[in-house]
Amino acid sequence: MKTIDELNLPADIRYTDDHEWAKPTGDTVLVGVSDFAQDQMGDIVFIELPAIGATFTKGDEFGTLESVKAVSELYLPMSGEVVAINTALIDTPELINQQPYECWLVEIKPSDPGEYGQLLDLAAYLRLLRG
Amino acid sequence: MTTPLKTTPLHAWHVGRGAKMAAFGGYEMPLWYPAGAKAEHLAPITAAGLFDTSHMAVLSLRGPAVRPLLQRCFSKDLERCIGVGKTLLTPGRCVYGVLLDHDGQVLDDAIVYQCGAHDYLLVVNAAMGEPIAAHLQQQNKKNPGALIDDHTDAIGKIDLQGPAAAKILARILRDPDQVFDKMVYFSFKGTFAPQFLPGAPVTLLDGTPVLVSRTGYTGEFGFELFVDHKDTVRLWRMLLEAGAPEGLLPCGLAARDSLRAGAGLPLSHQDIGPWPFARNPWLFALPWDEDGKGFTKEFIGNRAVLAARSTPCTLAFAGFDPRKIAAGAASQVTALDSTPLGGVLTCTTDMAIDRVGSVVVSIATPVAGGRPESFTPRGLCCGFVRLDTPLPPGAEVLLTDGKRTLKVEIRDQIRPDRSARAPLAAMLAA
Repeated sequence: MKTIDELNLPADIRYTDDHEWAKPTGDTVLVGVSDFAQDQMGDIVFIELPAIGATFTKGDEFGTLESVKAVSELYLPMSGEVVAINTALIDTPELINQQPYECWLVEIKPSDPGEYGQLLDLAAYLRLLRG
Repeated sequence: MTTPLKTTPLHAWHVGRGAKMAAFGGYEMPLWYPAGAKAEHLAPITAAGLFDTSHMAVLSLRGPAVRPLLQRCFSKDLERCIGVGKTLLTPGRCVYGVLLDHDGQVLDDAIVYQCGAHDYLLVVNAAMGEPIAAHLQQQNKKNPGALIDDHTDAIGKIDLQGPAAAKILARILRDPDQVFDKMVYFSFKGTFAPQFLPGAPVTLLDGTPVLVSRTGYTGEFGFELFVDHKDTVRLWRMLLEAGAPEGLLPCGLAARDSLRAGAGLPLSHQDIGPWPFARNPWLFALPWDEDGKGFTKEFIGNRAVLAARSTPCTLAFAGFDPRKIAAGAASQVTALDSTPLGGVLTCTTDMAIDRVGSVVVSIATPVAGGRPESFTPRGLCCGFVRLDTPLPPGAEVLLTDGKRTLKVEIRDQIRPDRSARAPLAAMLAA
């Protein structure tokens, strides 16, 4: 298990209390899980993602990650419509353990881009991790 | 106030190597190391894995009254339990069985080792040393003479499991040819405490005494090794160094649990427990007579077990992909039409298997046995369910935990082509 100092935590993205990350790319936002989340879960062996076109409110469950020991629900950091899912992960979910920030799970078109500013920046996320 | 967790002699090693730690049986134990639970599940099937099992409890039972005591408290008939010929337990052999109460309910499962004419070891589960010793003492009052001691805190136990286990162990034993000679499944040699526990000496290259047992809890070929507490870390390091060429991996409890579930082995207090030991896949632990209708001896719980005809039925299952549900009180098994059938005892993922058509294939299955040349299993959910009425192999049921519902198939076997019973000589030659 990684110590907090060993975690890879980019400063150019934002985080949630549930350890998802969000990264704006033009009009859309990519969503994934943090290095802390994948390290806690252990080997990810299965992934369930929503259909393209599904709409969610911030905080809604949008899918699951299945590790060897448990099922973890995924919660959307921002309200919006799913415009793409990372289908490459369906056959190789273990990539999420290796590259948690390259492995975006869904791409959403946010209904309120202002919600991004309410997410945790790196300093706030580190405070959360350090308890 | 919570009781502080106990630790094994290897605790600092686990933490130092970045293991994810968790509480189990009153101990803080490694769930997995940085290699991850999937690699740790595969290693004992393809090469070898190393498990710290020092949390398990070890009792010694000494004196002429022990055999009658075990005959009364342990489910196997020690006079008729070895091999197809059902010969008696003798020094150097060990047997698996259960300890029941008068209602036929499981106190714990155990392996009994006969070390000398009147000297035995009883290996039970973590945190069970004290209650099982107390139960045996209570029974001992009726026919005193058994000396019962708990050695759990004085010894270390390491399981070396996998097809490469004998090759690796041979490199650190002083006389491997002598140790491995006629070492059949469920036999052992040596002792971890020569001063009070008899046994022909088996030593490591550096002279450390060790008890080598050809047993395990993975379904794969291998050994359980018992040493004095102070020798545990040294043995662990010696094995890791000796096993480096084969890729020996330290493995945590997650892999231990998924390996044993795929092998169809029960976890005590989860798959067997406070209900009658009947209508389950492990009835070989009972002392059946020749016609399979009665028992060859009287023991605590025997009548209740024979009378338990309507107790729920425990069955193994495998799913169709790696997805699991959370087993336990909130889980339910239903028929495909949602009729309630029972509950889920164990639900985990065996990462070494997948379905090829309707057949379950393992990474250990030979190509001639049906494994495709390029086979990268995604894993299958598997475990045990407890149903009100029996279902035949092949029957399909639904598992639900309130969040998700999975279809699974009732099966006799889960992971095929396991190596546990492979002849030792063949494993050394491979």
